[in-house]
Amino acid sequence: MTSSARIAAQPRLRGGLTYDERAAFLFVAPLAVVLLAVAVFPILYSFYVSLFSLKLTRPGRMPFVGLGNYVAVLSDPQFWHAVERTVYFSVMAVAAICVLALLVALLLDEDFPGRRVLGAILLVPWAIPYVANALMWKWIYDSNYGALNGLLYQLDFINSYMVWLGDADKTLPLIANAFVWKEVPLAAILLLVGLKTIPSDLHAAAKVDGANALRRFVHITLPALKPAFTLVAVYETMMAIRHFDLFFILTEGGPGDASGVVAWRIYVETFRNLSFGTGAAMAYLLALATLALAYVIIRGLARRI
Amino acid sequence: MARIAFKSVTKRYAGDVIAVKDLDLEIRDKEFVVLLGPSGCGKSTTLNMIAGLEDVSEGELWFDRQIVNALPPHKRDVAMVFQSYALYPHKTVYENIAFGLRMRRVDRAEIDRRVRDAAAKLEIAQLLQRRPSQLSGGQRQRVALGRAMVRQPAVFLMDEPLSNLDAALRISMRAEIKHLHTAMQTTFVYVTHDQAEALTLADRIVVMKDGVVQQVGTPDDVYERPRNMFVAAFLGNPAINFLEGTIESRTGVPLFRRGALAIALPSKFATRLSQRADTEVVLGLRPEDVCAANGAVPSLAGTVDSVLPVGSDRFLGLKVEGSDVFVRVEKEARHQEGAAIRLGLVAERLHLFDKATGLSLAEDGTL
Amino acid sequence: MTLATAARASRIRHYRTHSPWRRVGRGVALLLASLLFVVYLLAPIAWLVSSSFQSEHEIIAKPPHWIPQAPTLQNFAAIFAAKDKTVTYETRKSADPSSGGFIPSTASNLLPAMLNSFIVASAVVVLNLLVGVPAAYAMAKIHFRGRQASIYGILATRVIPDIALVVPFFLFIRNLGLLDSIWSLIITYLAITVPFSVFVLVGYFESLPDELDKAARVDGCSRLQTLLRVYLPLARPSLVAVILFTFLASWNEFLLALMFTQTPASQTLPIIVASFTSDFTVSFSFINAAGVLAIIPPVLLALFFERYIVAGLTAGAVKG
Repeated sequence: MTSSARIAAQPRLRGGLTYDERAAFLFVAPLAVVLLAVAVFPILYSFYVSLFSLKLTRPGRMPFVGLGNYVAVLSDPQFWHAVERTVYFSVMAVAAICVLALLVALLLDEDFPGRRVLGAILLVPWAIPYVANALMWKWIYDSNYGALNGLLYQLDFINSYMVWLGDADKTLPLIANAFVWKEVPLAAILLLVGLKTIPSDLHAAAKVDGANALRRFVHITLPALKPAFTLVAVYETMMAIRHFDLFFILTEGGPGDASGVVAWRIYVETFRNLSFGTGAAMAYLLALATLALAYVIIRGLARRI
Repeated sequence: MARIAFKSVTKRYAGDVIAVKDLDLEIRDKEFVVLLGPSGCGKSTTLNMIAGLEDVSEGELWFDRQIVNALPPHKRDVAMVFQSYALYPHKTVYENIAFGLRMRRVDRAEIDRRVRDAAAKLEIAQLLQRRPSQLSGGQRQRVALGRAMVRQPAVFLMDEPLSNLDAALRISMRAEIKHLHTAMQTTFVYVTHDQAEALTLADRIVVMKDGVVQQVGTPDDVYERPRNMFVAAFLGNPAINFLEGTIESRTGVPLFRRGALAIALPSKFATRLSQRADTEVVLGLRPEDVCAANGAVPSLAGTVDSVLPVGSDRFLGLKVEGSDVFVRVEKEARHQEGAAIRLGLVAERLHLFDKATGLSLAEDGTL
Repeated sequence: MTLATAARASRIRHYRTHSPWRRVGRGVALLLASLLFVVYLLAPIAWLVSSSFQSEHEIIAKPPHWIPQAPTLQNFAAIFAAKDKTVTYETRKSADPSSGGFIPSTASNLLPAMLNSFIVASAVVVLNLLVGVPAAYAMAKIHFRGRQASIYGILATRVIPDIALVVPFFLFIRNLGLLDSIWSLIITYLAITVPFSVFVLVGYFESLPDELDKAARVDGCSRLQTLLRVYLPLARPSLVAVILFTFLASWNEFLLALMFTQTPASQTLPIIVASFTSDFTVSFSFINAAGVLAIIPPVLLALFFERYIVAGLTAGAVKG
């Protein structure tokens, strides 16, 4: 029997898959189906909708406009104001989150009695629903009876109660504060995980070399935290530029338009103006911006040091 | 019956990495075969292919009269002992050993009998209710052995099972494994990079390098009649000495020459040498193949470079015609560093290799 | 010891690398930092809880009473009692005499909404596990074509903001006639929870030794049996982390619930609570009580499973 003929006949299961490939296919299939149906399909369909002028106010007509919606959105000065506000909000929020989360992580990295308790307390802001967070801060910021006013009044920082959320200059920082408060725990945990992976030998070697705590922090801790920081920065930026819940409950984009970030405008466009086409286009622009930002941050942080 | 046959088997990984190339091998029933070689030579991959843990890219793998390429591991009647033991951390020792039998739906009473039997033989009966994390390395290894033993498989596979043990335990376990083979009367396929282990345990050794089989033979075959320089160097500790030189054939008797050194070669090389035009060769000399110099045998002259007593033996590092040569000498002999020395050679035990290909020039070289 | 050596011994100076002051200093700094930490994280919540125990009369004091001087449970009672009474314009004012304020017309929906939230969250958790665990095992342990790409692809689906998904989901769900049912939420929540679950599970499975997989398969397990009998028991920390994350994400989700639910039949807790805040006539103490109720289940859950959170994240985050 010629060996080459036998060798050419590879015994395989029907369909040409090995046992392992068949098993893998069966195991992954439900996931693939679910994701295709609820993630991939909506994403593609949403993009499709953005190419049409679909307004629920006149549902009969749905002309194809190609990139017309995108052009309309991008040439609308209101949109760019919203972008400005979004950027302002996000930069403020992410910077604050990074700093506070780092401080918290450094604290939790130390060994002292009660650290477990602190770790548990850390989870509380993270666990509560965004809605609860919003109403809590709304109550604190309340112009008539809020705790912020009360505290500042009692400490004699102000003479009479002030308007907070209703003040166009103050609303974005205040909303950012509420957002930051809720996001710090997760960011801190991610940084803490990063801190824990720094081998203690590095610090020991540096101490012997004569570095004090501050220099060790700058030269060992910070560089070693780069991957964790990148993750936190990317994730929190993504969360900040698309955040909606707080804007809906605290200010509804107000006063006037002062807190009308892009996410809010998408909601208004889609569900109040009922213009699905332009709403979808705006959402897609936001998605693109998210991707671009993630890319920029990852590359930017990778090149530093 | 548990015969295993590889027919032109090649294993390829993504990225065109060839782990095993064109393997043709027949493992006989009840044989103890050792796959020996350095890391990356393909021995573990070959073992995994027998187990079904890796797919065969090309060629055929036969168990007795059946092609098993497509058969998944849980349908093959093989048992395996892993280098890291791979015990199930969440199960007790008893459950670890019994697991394979439970998966094959052996009845409870039978399982119990076999597990306790194996535990008694391996002297781990008192550990049956413990978890792997509570055991020492040696104990875990026995549990791994027990898990494979109770299956009474057609083929027993072992992937460097002794590598993680300390030296003394390794030696005693080798004897145990050999006893196990005799008692179980099953085909054993054993992977190791330790040549001493291979020589001790094997009925036949398969020496592999870079995915290619270098030589298949009994321990005696691969040690005494290595087919190429790689096999000669891999077997034997301390390793064989290589001396490069040329062949002169005055007076019909081939002579190995390196500088002032001239050694008359035994007749077993005559045939191959006469067929060659090339005169570049490499002489192979094992450290133990030297004796006291007398006029009758070819001899080696050099200077003593280092004296290395090792308790049970005494080794000398010599400088011979610019080359380093290690030899074993009498324990009681006293030598000075720097002194000149002349030693006799056991001519029949010399090895000769072609310099370009590394192949042995002996006419009785086994494949 | 002779008298002389003892005398000498007592005069020997004891040197230490750190002076005791340094240890005290570190202790004080840690204490201060811990206090700041606790205040920052808990003060807002403490105020929420405190307010929920104050009557409407007390709550409007200026400056506020940080600790209730006349604590009352009437706000919570109003919530639980609301479902027994139909709330009309006339009865609203009388329904909550002790606090003196109005309770919202939607008050009676609070508890049913909690039930909806619970059902939705549980269903999403179960589906996540059913879909995610086998896939994660396959992606971590079976080498098949397209494995790497799948993992990145799955994460990439979360880059799109939820808002972009609302329109297609809305049309899709409307066409299926599911518009006001909790099924609309269950389906859409899968989209936002499954990718992260799979990411965490794959990371954890990858950290489990490969050789266990090989041993189990040689021992006679099919791939499915290997997963169920060997890896699942070992993956408990990540399973708990996934259950926790998924439950919380579903419980807390707001935007999609806002879009797809219109009546109390399907509305979840965040929607009802939000509806209170937009009604300006509602008493503040009532809103705060509702808020407290809303935060109790997730906070309890998080505190209970605290140690799994880091363990579950670690395997994924460090590699990712």
